[in-house]
Amino acid sequence: MAELGPEIFFATIVQLNAKIAAKEISAEELVRAFANRLQQLGPRYNALALPLPEQAIRAAKAVDQDIKRGRLRGPLQGIPYGVKDLLSFAGQITTWGAKPYAAQVFDYNATVIDKLASVGAVLTGKLSMVELAGGGGYRLPSASLFGPGLNPWDQTRWSGGSSSGSATAVAAGLAPFALGSETSGSILTPASYCGVTGLRPTYGLVSRHGAMALSWTLDKIGPFAHTAEDCGIVLQTIAGSDSKDPGSAGKSFYYSPQYARPMKDLKIGYAPIDFTDRADASARPAFAAALAALKETGVQLIETKLPQFPYGPILSTILNAEQASIFEPLIVSGQVNELADPAQIAGLKASLEVAAKDYLKAMRLRRLIKEAYATLFAEVDALVTTGRNGPATPINQPLDAVPAAPGGFNGIIQAGNLAGLPALAFPCGFAEKLPVALQVVGPPWSENVLLAIGRAFQSGTDWHKRHP
Amino acid sequence: MKNASATAGALTRRKLAALLVSSTALAQAPVSADPLQAAKDRIKANGDALAKEQVPMATEPAFQFKA
Repeated sequence: MAELGPEIFFATIVQLNAKIAAKEISAEELVRAFANRLQQLGPRYNALALPLPEQAIRAAKAVDQDIKRGRLRGPLQGIPYGVKDLLSFAGQITTWGAKPYAAQVFDYNATVIDKLASVGAVLTGKLSMVELAGGGGYRLPSASLFGPGLNPWDQTRWSGGSSSGSATAVAAGLAPFALGSETSGSILTPASYCGVTGLRPTYGLVSRHGAMALSWTLDKIGPFAHTAEDCGIVLQTIAGSDSKDPGSAGKSFYYSPQYARPMKDLKIGYAPIDFTDRADASARPAFAAALAALKETGVQLIETKLPQFPYGPILSTILNAEQASIFEPLIVSGQVNELADPAQIAGLKASLEVAAKDYLKAMRLRRLIKEAYATLFAEVDALVTTGRNGPATPINQPLDAVPAAPGGFNGIIQAGNLAGLPALAFPCGFAEKLPVALQVVGPPWSENVLLAIGRAFQSGTDWHKRHP
Repeated sequence: MKNASATAGALTRRKLAALLVSSTALAQAPVSADPLQAAKDRIKANGDALAKEQVPMATEPAFQFKA
């Protein structure tokens, strides 16, 4: 058996694939190492929902046989990974992070899991999440069947939500990549707090078949990894048309760094105040340095204003109306009271009262938002702002303790989700010994541009190589 | 007066912004001690915020149905 040093757990997909291809390590050895580590360290961060070591080792042995016979399936062959526990894996418990569903079992796989299996990636476990992806409006990080997501950099801080375990798993070297989901911030926030790279794809690019529905018109599935490049590799596999997902756009994604436009040709809109007054004081030096590093890639930074809409009320109205329909049986039966967070319980109950006219008004405003961003993206290729305003918050701090400051790109997470826009968050420095991040947002189907920006930033910095 | 002056001196722009946002939110949605009532109040406040927005009559909702 090959000697596995600790650095293997923080290697990129590209590096691990090279080791497998060079026969320095077998898929079984790699999967055993990551599966063991996930089982040992996952509970420390409340990141593990369900370990799957036996299935994983069986799958890894099959991958090794494939490789032996010359059946090569690309860069994910033999690479271990984890998924947020809102994705079904046939015959195994899928809790959606919530007590009422603690014994739930589906007899089919989520499409993304089948797609990853088809290229030889090996699922080693399911990862924790905020209960029901937090749609009811949770107030505390403890809103999960698995307990609060503890940040691997500092366990007194939150890992972010709702894809808490997915970001933690990558940050702590428990998996080289993981899948999460975003309805409004659930990929970007944990990626930012945990210091990993997270990609929210364009709405409709990745099938949600087999995923818990929270909001049919907002839900997206995307990857967490160490680098932008790794996110591109994973996205290429999980993207694509799926007749089982009514929201599928019928589009594929080909990760094509070889065709990336020169950075100097890219115009990126930003609001300077995001990096100064709107940022936590402790994070301002890191954000200033990050902006300078971004400029050094050659991109043109242009001061930009976001179209003005009441993004919060629009998004909340849509989310509340759709989740009320989805979770009506849970709410009406009273099982909703088994959830961990009182605000989440109250939010779900109250969501039954959203008026049809308000939902329709919000969806009409949403069309105007999409049009306004199409106009904006005629002027700039992407937008950049902070991933979050500062580092991860204390684990016992209510999430509404510090309201977001107005101005700048405040509301961009809601706006991006309402318009179905892709976004990439990647680490850009440290504050209070915790990672902070940038996010870049682009027009629909611009994932290759966003990944190119992330790749250029990461080629000139080493923040993505740091680990707890 | 002294206390007020001292408070003003310690107020950063960020804190001030947060206070202003809090004040606005409070004005729009009175906070109830009952979580359920507070959640209902937020839904009402969301509806009120949407009602202020002008939408051209021809604008259709942004969802798609594929037959």
